[in-house]
Amino acid sequence: MPVLHDDLSDFADSIVLGLGLSSKVQPFCPKYPVETALDVYRNNYFGNLHDALAYAYPVIEQLVGKDFFRCLTKQYIARHPSASGNLHHYGAEMADFIAGFEPAQGVVYLPDIAVLEWACHRAYFADDGPTLDVGRLLKIHPENYVGLVLHVHPSSHLVRSSYPITAIWNGHQPGANCDFHINLDSGPTNALVSRTNNAIIVSELGEADATWLQIIRSGVSLGEATATVLECHPEFDLLAALVNLVARGILIDFTLENTQ
Amino acid sequence: MAQPATHSLPCSAGIGLRAPHYREVLDGLSKIGWVEVHSENFFGGGAPLRTLLKVREHYPVSLHGVGMGLASTTPIDQMHLSALHRLCDAVQPAAVSEHLCWNSAAGLVINDLLPFPYTQEALSHVATRIEQVQEILGRQLLVENLASYLAFPHSEMTEGEFLSELVSRTGCGILFDVENLYVNVRNLDADAEAFIKAIPAGAVEEFHLAGYSERGGCLVDTHDSPVHPEVWELYEYALQHIGPRPTLIEWDSDIPALPVLMGEAANAQNRLEKYHARAA
Repeated sequence: MPVLHDDLSDFADSIVLGLGLSSKVQPFCPKYPVETALDVYRNNYFGNLHDALAYAYPVIEQLVGKDFFRCLTKQYIARHPSASGNLHHYGAEMADFIAGFEPAQGVVYLPDIAVLEWACHRAYFADDGPTLDVGRLLKIHPENYVGLVLHVHPSSHLVRSSYPITAIWNGHQPGANCDFHINLDSGPTNALVSRTNNAIIVSELGEADATWLQIIRSGVSLGEATATVLECHPEFDLLAALVNLVARGILIDFTLENTQ
Repeated sequence: MAQPATHSLPCSAGIGLRAPHYREVLDGLSKIGWVEVHSENFFGGGAPLRTLLKVREHYPVSLHGVGMGLASTTPIDQMHLSALHRLCDAVQPAAVSEHLCWNSAAGLVINDLLPFPYTQEALSHVATRIEQVQEILGRQLLVENLASYLAFPHSEMTEGEFLSELVSRTGCGILFDVENLYVNVRNLDADAEAFIKAIPAGAVEEFHLAGYSERGGCLVDTHDSPVHPEVWELYEYALQHIGPRPTLIEWDSDIPALPVLMGEAANAQNRLEKYHARAA
């Protein structure tokens, strides 16, 4: 008779939901009340998830302060239980949660900072990718360039925001100059997350380059992506964009359309 | 049955390597027998893996998982297992270990090390899962005894008997955490002598030592302080009955300066040498 599942489910509910144990499961503590033991497990549960969020969202914690952050994580944890044994996977829904979190409404750029921090967190733990094989690229006949489908590094992410999130993020990194001015009306930002020499870098990308990269990321061929961008951004410089994105390890590989 | 690891840990004292000490350890200033890291911190590539590969050039590495949930009643997370497999291929660790615990049931994941009743049903369940893990990794898994804050009266055997059965059914090894056993003695009246008699000495591949704290009369496995005198005493008793084995100092919270950790490792090393000398 499979009773293990019932025992663990009951125990899990008691830890996550703070419920009492059902009469079927009666654990035993000879030295202190069972509730003391359950409280230790409940504290561990909250503490481990809180620490995982603080690790993934250090800029959010700095922006709102430790006490506010603790209140935020408490409610986040109640709403979003963990779904992975790997704590580094915890916290993916933070941006949406903050967007709906009434006490944080005054800080308009906070959800976008959360998107950026989650992108950085994922970038840190992303798999490695190759470096673009330029020799192989040179063997492609120029008339076939339009059919190139470019692949991006698994650590690279693009976060587009109406606020200067790149400046805010960089201003809150360890060792950053605290004496900086943020103008919230400075216009949209395209924050590009990359992993260069194994360090997580957040830099800005121009509007045309960002639009092009976003299309490329969706698997569209070089020719089609470039034509689409040139319609809205006639100033788009394809060669400069390619040089920049290859140098930063963002474009790592390619296939030829129709020959994949 | 899994084959024992071909490259085993040296029978000396090692330290749990955590982020604050990466730089200092890599600068080569440290005379450390071996290091152990939490496997999940190195899933993926980039800086974590590069760092670990550099460490691996200088020290034998043990991978210690905290997220597999060997006793969970939800299926083994195949992504998790395959990430561990890739890490093992990259690092070629001297040992791979997990805890005798669960972390997932009924759609809920609890990122902690949780106890369960030691029943025949649980034994078959955990043995099957250890076999799955060993099959994928292609190597022996060490299974660590757990620090518990409560016990289940319907357990049909002790933790020591449960571990012993796992060894004979799966060929897994045992990671004997001396502090965890001490916590269970104090919290749950566990019988330390009986535990040590119950587990097959030949299957014990590693010892763990750490500090605990106390909350409301309950000892909690917090790894945030030096090894307590009573735990050293129990370690010496374990050395007498099991023999010298690779021994790790774990310190995961309020992490001290590296020399403090090294001092704790030296204390373990002295005791190991004493028993090495006696055995010689």
